[in-house]
Amino acid sequence: MEDDDRVQRERRRRNIAIALLLGALAVLFFVMTIVRLKGHVLEVFQ
Amino acid sequence: MTMAAATLAFEPRAASVGDYFALLKPRVMSLVLFTAVAGMLLAPVKPDLPTAFTALLCIAVGAGASGALNMAYDSDIDALMARTATRPVPMGHIARGDALAFGWTLAAGSVAVMALFVNPLAAFLLAFSIAFYVFVYTLWLKRRTAQNIVIGGLAGSLPPAIGWAAATGSVGLAPLLLVLIIFLWTPPHFWALALYRSDDYARAGVPMLPVVSGKRATRRQILIYSLVLAPLGLVPAATGLGGPLYAAVALGFGAWFLIDAIAVLHETDEVREPAARRLFGVSIMYLFVLFAALMLERLMGLPPFASLSLGGWA
Repeated sequence: MEDDDRVQRERRRRNIAIALLLGALAVLFFVMTIVRLKGHVLEVFQ
Repeated sequence: MTMAAATLAFEPRAASVGDYFALLKPRVMSLVLFTAVAGMLLAPVKPDLPTAFTALLCIAVGAGASGALNMAYDSDIDALMARTATRPVPMGHIARGDALAFGWTLAAGSVAVMALFVNPLAAFLLAFSIAFYVFVYTLWLKRRTAQNIVIGGLAGSLPPAIGWAAATGSVGLAPLLLVLIIFLWTPPHFWALALYRSDDYARAGVPMLPVVSGKRATRRQILIYSLVLAPLGLVPAATGLGGPLYAAVALGFGAWFLIDAIAVLHETDEVREPAARRLFGVSIMYLFVLFAALMLERLMGLPPFASLSLGGWA
């Protein structure tokens, strides 16, 4: 029973870590896309 | 830890986030990152901050992937050595297949992101470095020849060139000089470790130089490499890459490295090998202070030895 709890706890921690990493990766992709566009993305508003 | 103790250390349990972090060899990763930052800072072109961050992230993750793959493929011999028996795979915390999937995913991801957002040359060098470490060093040379760490050391030497390539999109003689310094630093560094861990390597059947050719031959080889490395460490000062601070640091720590290499040659305590332990520590400090001096000079805007500069290197 205790082992099951521990496995569940570790799995939950791993899932949170993966979620945070995927979120950070999405932010990185967004920022780098804007950087690579070198500001041309703003031209649509002009 | 003896072989019996290493076997007893096997303790399967659910893998924690910390186990996966340990799989990345964080200490090796930090030295890789440090030399890559140096390569990037010394480059004549400065990348924008997001690109620099992405490049360094890719280099760190690529280095971590190499470590994870090395731990997966070498889990059988890691279980037999005291230094490595407590790693997550031999301990049973992470399955070998999971470590392989983790490592290859990070390797492919880091190279892909580098290619997409930095430049193709930096991505190629990162891919080459990972492939060389995994296929040439881990899977081919490590278990076959005493020259394993000499040739395999190329993988760990490349980060300054990757950092430079990330900033400039090219590789010149200056980053290759830094690569050469790390390449020639690697054998005395690892052979010093192998001298006081030779029983471990012998038990695992890894043909490190002290196991194959004996401690006497290893001590001589350490001194020979040190005699080449110490003067080579001064060359960046003559090429315009380093300045007076770097020259002083390279001279002082090069002399220290040589003195300890001579002490290793004359070591009589073959059980504890105190001189080899000292040299191992000094070698880490040597690489750290040399690259730190180069970076400090660049960050403080200190001029290099312009009169001695060979021109075109940096």
